[in-house]
Amino acid sequence: MENINKNISELHDLLVNKKVTSEELIKESIAKCHEIQEKTNSFVMILDDAKPTDVTDSLLSGIPYGMKDNFSTKGIVTTGSSNSLKDYVPFFDATVIKKLKEAGAVGVTKTVLDEFGMGCTGTTGHTGIVHNPWSYKRSASGSSSGSAASVACGVYPFALGSDTGDSIRKPAAYTGIVGYKPTYGMVSRYGLFPYASSLDTVGCLTRSVEDAAIVVDAIKGIDENDMTSWDSSDIKLKENLDGEVKGKKLFYIKEICDISNYANPSDELKEHLDNFKKTVELCKSLGMGVEEVNVDKTLLNALPPTYVVVSYAEATSNMSNLTGISFGPRGEGDNVMDMIKDHRTKGFSPLIKRRFVIGSYVLQSENQEKYFLNAKRVRRLIVNKMNELFNKYDALILPVGSGPAKYLDENMNIYNGENNVLEEHLQIGNYGGYPSITIPNGFVSKLPVGVNITGKVKDDINVLNIAYALESKMDYKNQLAREVE
Amino acid sequence: MSNFTKEMINNYADKLLIGLTSEEEEMIQSEFDQIEKNMNLINEIPDISKVEPLSFPFEVTLTDLRSDEDASEEIPIDILLQNCDSYEGREVEVPKVVG
Repeated sequence: MENINKNISELHDLLVNKKVTSEELIKESIAKCHEIQEKTNSFVMILDDAKPTDVTDSLLSGIPYGMKDNFSTKGIVTTGSSNSLKDYVPFFDATVIKKLKEAGAVGVTKTVLDEFGMGCTGTTGHTGIVHNPWSYKRSASGSSSGSAASVACGVYPFALGSDTGDSIRKPAAYTGIVGYKPTYGMVSRYGLFPYASSLDTVGCLTRSVEDAAIVVDAIKGIDENDMTSWDSSDIKLKENLDGEVKGKKLFYIKEICDISNYANPSDELKEHLDNFKKTVELCKSLGMGVEEVNVDKTLLNALPPTYVVVSYAEATSNMSNLTGISFGPRGEGDNVMDMIKDHRTKGFSPLIKRRFVIGSYVLQSENQEKYFLNAKRVRRLIVNKMNELFNKYDALILPVGSGPAKYLDENMNIYNGENNVLEEHLQIGNYGGYPSITIPNGFVSKLPVGVNITGKVKDDINVLNIAYALESKMDYKNQLAREVE
Repeated sequence: MSNFTKEMINNYADKLLIGLTSEEEEMIQSEFDQIEKNMNLINEIPDISKVEPLSFPFEVTLTDLRSDEDASEEIPIDILLQNCDSYEGREVEVPKVVG
């Protein structure tokens, strides 16, 4: 009988009642990981020698999970899915890895990401493309691609992710699972390979809101190694999941959700937005108020370029330690600078080089005011607007992306020039550090689509509760991927 | 005709010690005008220069200063050198820097 596709509480009960052992669960998980690897390519590595742990009061004890391969794992190769670190073995555990070890959870995989988290297609990792388990012809999105695909396949109940623009929440939508990005700083970033430090957030991918609450309860907390972390000991996520949402006030943004804003909308987009309206109606049936709010289009249109400027600029700085001198494959050259340049030239893929060139451009002295500082000014305007709305409303509800997962094709990484706010609005959550969760809310073209709930800073309990209440009235809790095309 | 020559693109890359292949140069050059056009949407917001830039999502206040007596854990050099492709004894080896 298959156990590993159950949720955390069910697995814990089985372990406590000795219906299954940690060793058996890990064995089952690893066998299933090998089964899905050929078709999904979710893993940089499967840890065949993962050891069982004692079953304790901790809900995560004895349970296997997946580690996105940008979290440092002591003594285990951690690549960031980049050739520039293909053999790098960290000498310490990231704080989240350490906390999960303390909770008794067992990491069994290192999952593929878009190189250093800098992508949204799951196609730029150095070990190849991640395929969506619902349709191997489609992308699992990114950058937490392998984490999302493997959780959707039911090889374990949860995996770690990181989210700089939507890297947890979008892959979750495209694979039909739950993706939770907590408030910025609630979970330590120590040991996470940085992409854009003012936006990077650690979170998880699961198949239920309750599991997401359990995981973040275990990994959150102040950390002296991360100066942006804060004390959240008074926030108990799982304990406060009660589904009591009557009287909550939600809003959505008309300019993003109204089909009339889109010229020649595809059938998938129409269906996706119709499905979103059904979720809005469901919110109302649960006693929540949902209002349509207008936000200035000029400000909304500046959302995606603000992300481009801020994150790419921060990335150029964060990646400057990748020299191949004290770690990473040594480059060739007659002097140190040539060696570093050779290492970086060979180590980075074309797509992140593109991001670096843009980051370099916006940081040129003649461009700093016009692009870098103005983008940070727009960030303030967006955050001010959202904070103003969060004073009036409990949460923002929006559809994720413009439909289901996209087909994998050779053009998917070519910059198409679109400035699509519907595809990029989850970045709002990173600009303001807001708690934000995606849950599945239906199907378009037989493939899963998602809805996102975002709330005010440190109000994670409220955001999770709204998602929990909605999830309980829909049929997608603990959903597993099944091949549909 | 692009506003960005290959020399300009290579210069931006070179400042980060990154080299580009001719395919990478062409890809970036073909996209750069549109990328810049979209980046300029930022500048369409009226009076944007009067707004104070926001660097972090919200203010994070550090209230605890570490005591001078707290010794931080030292990592043995041999462990740090395990990821280094070229070293001698306790030192990273590189070509001669000073003549």
